[in-house]
Amino acid sequence: MSNLEFGPIMRALLRNKVGAILIALQIAVTMTIIVNAVFIIVERKAMMERESGLDEANTFYLTTTGFGKDFESKRVTIEDLALIRNTPGVIDAIQVNAIPMSGSGWSMGLATQPGEEIESVGTANYMVDDHALNTYDAELLAGENFSPEDIRFRERNQSDWPDLAIITQALAKSLFPELGIDEVVGKTIYIGDNEAMIIKGIIDKLQAPWVGWNNLDHVTLTPEMMAFPSMRYLIRTEPGMRDKLMTSLEETLANQYPNRIIRNVETITATRDKSYRQHSAMINILTATMILLTLITALGIIGLASFNVNRRRKQIGTRRALGASKQAIIRYFMVENLIISSFGLILGVGLTIGLNFMLIEWFAVKALDWYYIPTGVVLLFVVGQLAAFGPAFRAAQISPALATRTI
Amino acid sequence: MLKMNNLCKSFRTELVETHALRNFTFSVDEGDFVSVTGPSGSGKTTFLNIAGLLENHTSGSYLLDGIDVKTLSDKQRSQLRNEKIGFIFQSFNLIPDLNLFDNVDVPLRYRGLSRAERHQRIEESLARVGLANRMKHLPSQLSGGQQQRVAIARALAGKPRFLLADEPTGNLDSQMAKSVMGLLQEINQQGTTIVMVTHDPELAMQTSRNVFVRDGQISEAETIMPLAAASNQ
Ligand SMILES: Nc1ncnc2c1ncn2[C@@H]1O[C@H](COP(=O)(O)OP(=O)(O)OP(=O)(O)O)[C@@H](O)[C@H]1O
Ligand SMILES: [Mg+2]
Repeated sequence: MSNLEFGPIMRALLRNKVGAILIALQIAVTMTIIVNAVFIIVERKAMMERESGLDEANTFYLTTTGFGKDFESKRVTIEDLALIRNTPGVIDAIQVNAIPMSGSGWSMGLATQPGEEIESVGTANYMVDDHALNTYDAELLAGENFSPEDIRFRERNQSDWPDLAIITQALAKSLFPELGIDEVVGKTIYIGDNEAMIIKGIIDKLQAPWVGWNNLDHVTLTPEMMAFPSMRYLIRTEPGMRDKLMTSLEETLANQYPNRIIRNVETITATRDKSYRQHSAMINILTATMILLTLITALGIIGLASFNVNRRRKQIGTRRALGASKQAIIRYFMVENLIISSFGLILGVGLTIGLNFMLIEWFAVKALDWYYIPTGVVLLFVVGQLAAFGPAFRAAQISPALATRTI
Repeated sequence: MLKMNNLCKSFRTELVETHALRNFTFSVDEGDFVSVTGPSGSGKTTFLNIAGLLENHTSGSYLLDGIDVKTLSDKQRSQLRNEKIGFIFQSFNLIPDLNLFDNVDVPLRYRGLSRAERHQRIEESLARVGLANRMKHLPSQLSGGQQQRVAIARALAGKPRFLLADEPTGNLDSQMAKSVMGLLQEINQQGTTIVMVTHDPELAMQTSRNVFVRDGQISEAETIMPLAAASNQ
């Protein structure tokens, strides 16, 4: 180990501190930003990859708005749904008050006991009929689907709730943490002004409209259709049929009744993209920043190492004359880089944790998983060594004859 | 121990080809103290570089301890320089960022000696040149003569059999030159073979043998007769 020259390299470095300190600081800052950025990116990616529960690639929705006193919204809804469901290529369709991930919808509080003081659990509410599970591509884990007799019409100014509900597994867990899902079926829950509802079924997965909401997986389906002039249809198609049906159904529905318009025909894919647009922009900015910073740091390391090689040409020739192999010269500069990097990275670990604490305080970012830090350290060591290798290799090519040739 | 036969060295640049050494035939025996003199640009340093394995020759043969150095790899040449050869340079070539102790340590580390062994050798050789009490000093804190003594200590610490010096007194005043020369003579008397390039005929007189180089060739006619040889006759 004695020929690794840690001691002398360190002592020589201490006599030419300024450049080394600047590079060490740069490495520290780079590590800090990169590790936190990667962590945020991974978190956001995981967030963006959460499943809505829908057959996203094959689902779209549209809004129909009727106008005029004579517009019979109940009849139109029933006829529309029959028409849509009978269209070849359509798997199923429902009328619905809100769309997962779309950003707008209804939320309610649910409690396991009546009474105003009881703490309630937040949930999104979708008003649907017995075709919902098929349209949502949801799996019934326990209990039963709604039957056609369960479905009622909700009038525009009606505020009471149906007697039945289907809830997501996640919501069941939040409401009844101690019970298995089979035991939750049949339980009574209380909504709004302590109105009782019986849980008829439990589905695997469905998301609320708000992607930033803590209770994203809390959804309650209530068996009702809306007798409103403006309403939405959610339509699930066979694979590959979505885009064709979007155009053809828009036209068919528009032609069906002269006194209504069809608008906002949109795919779930587009809705997801829109909802997560900020997040993907953030990911892109962070990625670009990381790449740029790493490049700048690598260039800094190359610059300092090249400067040191040029400054020490004569010294390198002398070392070669005194018996250093090419390998020993390369090793000298690699070890020197390792020492500079080590100081930078020790500081970097501290700064990384510090920045993470600040992000936790100010931006509700989660605490860094521990393994990000050693990964960042190893990564930057590798970047440093790769960057230093070029100048080190050039140093090794300096002829030993330089010892006698230059003054 | 050193045997050159019809050795040539030419430097080729885009414009000209310089023949720095031409048909150089020369040998040094174990225990010799050879001085090399000659005008500037005559090829003295080139000869020394080739002898010390710092540079390859173009043609001819060079045997060092019976080994044809042309057959050696770069790594083997480095190892030979490290173990058998000591160098002393005109401008000392100490590493400015390292103190005297670390400077003398440089070749010992390349040899992979143990820490204890290195310490002992460093202290011994710095004591030998009279600088044991300045181990923690930087080269810049020493006079030229002292720096050259450190360089000699660095060469001695490796216990080389063969010491090569390129104008070791060239940057020193005559007083300092005298003391460095004295040191070299002492080293030679203890068995180390020395080849020293010098401009100073007075110093050449004090060696056991002289070669005079002109235009890359040995000029027998101009050879200086050393005192020792003269008194033997
Ligand atoms: N690397 C090189 N490239 C081209 N020519 C060189 C090189 N090194 C030396 N020479 C040439 O070789 C010749 C011999 O040079 P050398 O340095 O051996 O002379 P010297 O006798 O040591 O001179 P001085 O007394 O001035 O040190 C000179 O003409 C010199 O210009
Ligand atoms: Mg010379």
